[in-house]
Order: sequence, then C-alpha cells, then structure tokens
Amino acid sequence: MSVLEEPRLGTTLAALAVFCVAVAGCEEQTPVALTEDALPGEPISIEVNIPWSSFASNLEVFGGYGSAEDIGGGGVIAEDFAGTLDARTLMRIGAYPTVATVQDTTGASRPDSTLTILGGRLVAFFDTIESTNAMPVTMALGATTQEWDPTTASWAFAVDTINDQRPWTEPGGGPVTALVQATWDPAAGDTAVFELDSAQVALWSDTTDLSAGVRIDLLDAGERLTVNSAVLRLDARPSSNPDTIIQLTASTRASTFIYSPFPQPPPDGVRIGGAPSWRTILDIAIPEMIDGIPEFCAVVDCPHQLDAGQISYAALVLTSRETEAAFQPTDSIRLDVRPVLDRASMPKSPLGVSLIVDPLGRTVGPDAFGASPGVEIEVPFTGFARDRLRGTDNSGNTTPGTLALLSVIEPFSISFASFEGPGTAAEPYLKLVLTIGPPVELP
Amino acid sequence: MAKLIGAAGRAVVLAALLALVPAADVGAQSLFNAAGLGLPGEALDGRARALGSMGIGLPGSSILPTDPGALARVGISTGVMAASPSWVDYNSAGNLGSFEGNRFPLLGLAYPVFGGMASVQIGSFLDQGYEVTRIGEVSIGGSPVRTTDDFRQDGSVSNLNLGFARTIGSRFAAGVTLGRYAGNLDRTLVRTYGEEGESGNVDTYRESGVWSWTGQSITLGGTAELPNVRVAASIQIPSDLDAEASTQTRGSDRSFALPVQYRVGATANLGPSVLVHTSAVIADWSATQDALADGAFAHDGNGFGVGVELSRARVLGKDAPLRFGFRRVGLPFAFDDEQAIERVFSGGFGLVLNETAGVVLGGIDIAIERGQRRGANLTEHFWRGTLSLLTSGF
Repeated sequence: MSVLEEPRLGTTLAALAVFCVAVAGCEEQTPVALTEDALPGEPISIEVNIPWSSFASNLEVFGGYGSAEDIGGGGVIAEDFAGTLDARTLMRIGAYPTVATVQDTTGASRPDSTLTILGGRLVAFFDTIESTNAMPVTMALGATTQEWDPTTASWAFAVDTINDQRPWTEPGGGPVTALVQATWDPAAGDTAVFELDSAQVALWSDTTDLSAGVRIDLLDAGERLTVNSAVLRLDARPSSNPDTIIQLTASTRASTFIYSPFPQPPPDGVRIGGAPSWRTILDIAIPEMIDGIPEFCAVVDCPHQLDAGQISYAALVLTSRETEAAFQPTDSIRLDVRPVLDRASMPKSPLGVSLIVDPLGRTVGPDAFGASPGVEIEVPFTGFARDRLRGTDNSGNTTPGTLALLSVIEPFSISFASFEGPGTAAEPYLKLVLTIGPPVELP
Repeated sequence: MAKLIGAAGRAVVLAALLALVPAADVGAQSLFNAAGLGLPGEALDGRARALGSMGIGLPGSSILPTDPGALARVGISTGVMAASPSWVDYNSAGNLGSFEGNRFPLLGLAYPVFGGMASVQIGSFLDQGYEVTRIGEVSIGGSPVRTTDDFRQDGSVSNLNLGFARTIGSRFAAGVTLGRYAGNLDRTLVRTYGEEGESGNVDTYRESGVWSWTGQSITLGGTAELPNVRVAASIQIPSDLDAEASTQTRGSDRSFALPVQYRVGATANLGPSVLVHTSAVIADWSATQDALADGAFAHDGNGFGVGVELSRARVLGKDAPLRFGFRRVGLPFAFDDEQAIERVFSGGFGLVLNETAGVVLGGIDIAIERGQRRGANLTEHFWRGTLSLLTSGF
C-alpha cells in the first residue's frame, strides 16, 4: 500500500507530544463523597483496663546501675536528713595551673611559669531547687587522708573493685584533715566559699596522690543539699610582677558522694532512679483474648480475640507511692521504659531502645512521691504492645517479653521514684484503647 | 523486505510511545463513583463523544471495542488513544463543591492480518475512586475525644480486548471482541484521634482490603453499508465480575452479575457534507442489585444519543469536520432508589494532520461536553473534554 511507503513518524510524534502535554495539564482530584452511606462499617473505640494478673508477672527490682560519680561535677551532702540520711561529697582537684600570662613591671604581657601560691578558696555551687534548706546552713571542708576511688567509693568502702576492697578506716570517708567551715544561705545565692591558706591549698597539689581529696560535710542536721559543682580558685604571685596577685582556677577532676544508710530493695513495689540507679523489670504478655470485663463485653462480643492492629493505645499505669523520706525527689523524675533483650542475663542484660517518644521520658512531679502520693502515671508503649501480641516486630525479630522501667538518665539524683507493686490495692494495670471495626467489604 | 522491517519498526516505536501514556488510568470523574460498583466509563474517542454516540455505527477509522464490526472497515494499521479531563461542580442538599480529574478511556491498535483486521484495546469500564470523611466523638479516660474516619477507595475496572473483524462481501462486515476485565480496588479506612493537626498518644487505626477484579466478555457485532447509511449492532455478553480478596484482606471474595449490553447505531449521509448519527444502548444492571450491600441501588444503564457532522468544514486548509450531539443515559448505580440520569450536550471537531491518497494518516478529534448528572439528592454539572489522537499507516 502506498501510504506505508511514506514514513510519517515525525508528524505522528509531534501530534503525540501535543497530546501528552494537553492531557497533563489537568489536576487529579479525588471526589469527596457527601454521604456516610459510602463508608464501611463504623469501628468501635473502647478503653479497657487489664489487671496485673492478666498481663504481667515476675516483677523484680535491681539496683547498682552506674555510680554516683557518673552524675558528674557535684554531689550530695546531708546530715541526719529525715532522721536517717547522712551524705558527704568527695572531690578530687585537678592539676594546678603552672603557667600564667601576666603583665610584668614594664607593662608587657608574657608567660610566667614561676608562680607562688598564696592561698585560695573552694567555691561550691548548689542546686537551689533540689536542696531542701530554706535557711543558712554550715558546712565543713576537709582533706581526705586515705586512698579512695571516686568510682567505687561508698560510705563503708574507700575502694570497692574486684579483688580490691578497702574499707574506710572511719566509715563515711574519713578520717579527714579538718580545714575550714563555710555557710550557704540560699536566699543570698547558690554559692558557698571555703577560704583556704597556702598550706591547705598545697594538700591537693599532687595529682598522683590517691589519698588527696576534698570532703564536704553538712554540719546542720535535717537538711539535704545538692552540690552542682565546685572549683578551686587560687591566689598566686607571679615572679615577673611580684606586686600583683593573680587568680587561677583548678577544676575538679572527679566528684562523687557517699551516703548512709543505703536503701534496701522494696519488697512489694516499683523503684526507679537513685544513685547508683534502681531499675524495675517485669514480664509482659498482652492477652490474646479479652473476656469477663463487663464494660467491654457490653459492646463487643466476648470472648474477643484481640488483634494487634486493634490496639490504638497501650500504657502501663503505675500508681505513685511515698518514697522513703530521705530519698524523696525534690525535682521532677523522668521515667523511661525499654525492652529487656536478654531476661536471663539480668541484671546485666542489655536494653533496647526507649519506647517513649519524648526523649526526656515521662515526666512526673516530685509531689507524687511525697506530699501527694497515689497519682496514676501512664507509661505508654503502644508499638511494643502490638509487637508483643504479634510476637515479632516489623523487621521480623522476636519481641522481648520483658520491660525495664528506669530513669531516662542513670544515675541522675540520689532520690528515686516509688510506685505501688502487684498485690497492693493500687497495683499496676494495663490500659488499652482498642479500635475494633468490621472487615472492610466491597459495596 | 526492507519496507516490511521499516513498517514494523515504526509500529514498535509507536507502541512504545503509546505505552508511556497510562492506558485506561481512570481518574475521578464523578461523585457517583461512590455508588454501588461505581460509574461506568465508556471507551470512546473524541469523535464519538462529540456526536453523542454510544460507541457504535460511526463510519471512518473507528476502532471502538463496542463496535467490533466497524473494525473491518479500517483497512490499514491504526492506533488511537484518548484522554478525557473533566471539571465537575456538585450540589448535594446545599453542599457545593467542585473537583477535576483526568482519565484515559481508550487505547487501541489495529493491524491487518489474515485478510481482516485484528485489534487490541484497553478501555475503562468502571470508575471507582472516591473518599469520604466522618467526624465522631468517643470517650477515652472519661474525656470526649474527637475521631476522624477517613475512607478512601482507589481503583477501577478496566477492560482488555482482543478483536478480529473482516468484511463479508462489499456491504457487510462482522467482528468479535474477546474481553477481559482487570484492575484492583483498594478500600482503606483510617481512624485518627484528636483534633485536626494534633498528634496525640492514641495511634491511628487502619483497616483495609484489596481486591483484584477478574471477568470475561465476548462482543459480537456487524455492520451493513446501505446506500447513504451505515447500520451497526453489537451484543456484549459478560461473565460475572469477580472480586478476589488479597491474602491480607479480611473482607470476603465477591461476585457481581453484569448485564448483557445491546447496542445499535446508524449514520446517514444526508448530503455531500452532512452526516446524521444516532445510537442506543440497552443494559439492565438490576441483576447486580442482588450482590450489592444494603444502601446501594442498581438500575438500568439504557441510553441513546444523536449527533450531526458537517464534514466540509476546513481549518488552515485541512479538513476539520464540525460535530454536535446530545446523549442521555441512565447511571446504573445511585445512592437511593431513584435512578440518576446523565444528559450531555456536546460539540467538537476533527483535524486531519496528514492525509495521503484519501487515507488519514494522522488526526485528532476534540470534543467538549457540557452535561448534568442528576440523582435524588445529588446533582453534578460538568465540563468534559475529550482529545483523541488517531494515527494510521505505521
């Protein structure tokens, strides 16, 4: 046929291009139906509270995570606080500056490595919120005389590592060389100053001396103070300008606190926080079948086979209880919940990632553990609950069956949170918000 | 031999270009998509739309799947594709709104083989996409919490056809089209908790189902070339339309009865430049009612159309026939027991881009329709354009 002998591909392609451009100009919008007849069956949303015995077991409290030194920079001092607690802060001072840039007698600035230490002062900074005192308190500063280890030191032991356990010759970090006293008035600021002479300053100048250290004691009974940090300010005379006194700073290179008595694990409760920290672990099994809950069975056929996709919200609900007075929080506690990856290895099991979206954890005010106990705290773990019911996560990995309740930062404070445990009137329970709908069918 | 290879090569290139267009990608065209099995989509080109045709009885290079006999008259290799954007305003009990969408209702290729013409066509059959939102409130922890149920249905039923037709003598032609229904339907309900824009602790609930559409059809048709008149008729006999749920779907498999569709059409040449066309379709969808859930209603899809073509018109020295038409067709599915009707006035023109020895090698047909779909509680007014590209001799 003649037409096949005359290629017209160019014309065709041009027309096709025009065609494609023309049809591409129309925006695609999905029509929104106006009648609910076009919707499938409506789901039911219902809240269900599952008692402890139906979803959890084997609650245990473990202590000893981290060291008071891990808080970093500061410590705690207390004297017969709440009638029981004594606490002292131990610090190691870093190397003193050996060179300073000073103006000589001609007014020129140059480094001077021949400095004469005349004295100084230890400046301590306090946490005005966590500290319990409203009135001025008096503290004593002493120099340790026995070798001690900042990481493992406790009220009874100066060193407490494997194959090396050495008790203090006098429990509580002593004996010490008494130096000076100072007063801190929280109304006047957050700082207390211990004035020191040159001989006292010289006690900490040798950084290789493992017995060198600062001990701060509280002399006034009935209070608990939190030390945020401390620095040693040194007064020095440079050789290049002997008429001038310059001030140098030596920081602390280690800081911890020791206290007595050490709290015992609660026999029937949940404990989170402290220093070293406490963790509470519990085994979780999301019930596959829900039955016998009147308010639930009134709207859903019982027994109901629970599907993971029906869990819209899941939370462990804890009821706060009053913490032992000596360890009651004075600032907010931040709770975290993480899966325990190897239950048999507890207390050394690694933990999974946090189940709480907020990186600061679940924040609870201090009154819940002191003046106003009995507050219900929800610790949400919806995704974990779904995976636990399915048995695997989205990657196909087996979902751990144990959760750990802990502080977001370990350790964070000497104080800890306490909650009612199983078997009590306000035992933990599982709160579920379920969305249960019929299958989506064709019209 | 070289010519044969060259022609085949051009055919391959053209086929590849055609494949770039999402064939039969039906988009949203009507709120009636939400009724029953959706809104029937018709595999028509721009000329048929402009003439108000039901897709049968048109002379020329038409390769519509609803007119198997006409395929025999095409004579040479031909390809056609159509795009159809639409702009819709609706009014439902005082609720006003608008939307727009685009679809590709027809893609076809025909080639001469075995003394006749073979064809492959992909066309739309049912448009089903829509979404709907329901606002509610539940009590969680003793406090009222707003719920938002967003339901989205996404999918369509398309029709893949293989056809063959040949002339019988100089006046008659007969053809058969074997069709296969295909497509998917994804229905998803998502419930979210809390005020709009807020992200709370309560996660969304999601329930969805995916179904695959399957089914077959056979269409028999014939044409007769009488003096100054072409007459055509066809009958489409479908199987049930089966919906098979995916393994992840909790919903059940379903099967829907489809109607036998009868079509007749005729085009008369009233003079050297005037063609008059009329066509009708009869399709009783009432048997589908039995398989539909409560709240969905099936009616007939009967309709007719008339049109006129002024074939002597020219633009830029090329033939550009003008067309006008009207059609009225019943919508098979509605939200209540009262049938919805679509009425359309149409106009358009064709433009021959290339013609050799009286054979159109390239051309476009454009139709503009102004129509109304009216049901008991819903009225839509729409503009719809249809642009089809026809190319031959590749």
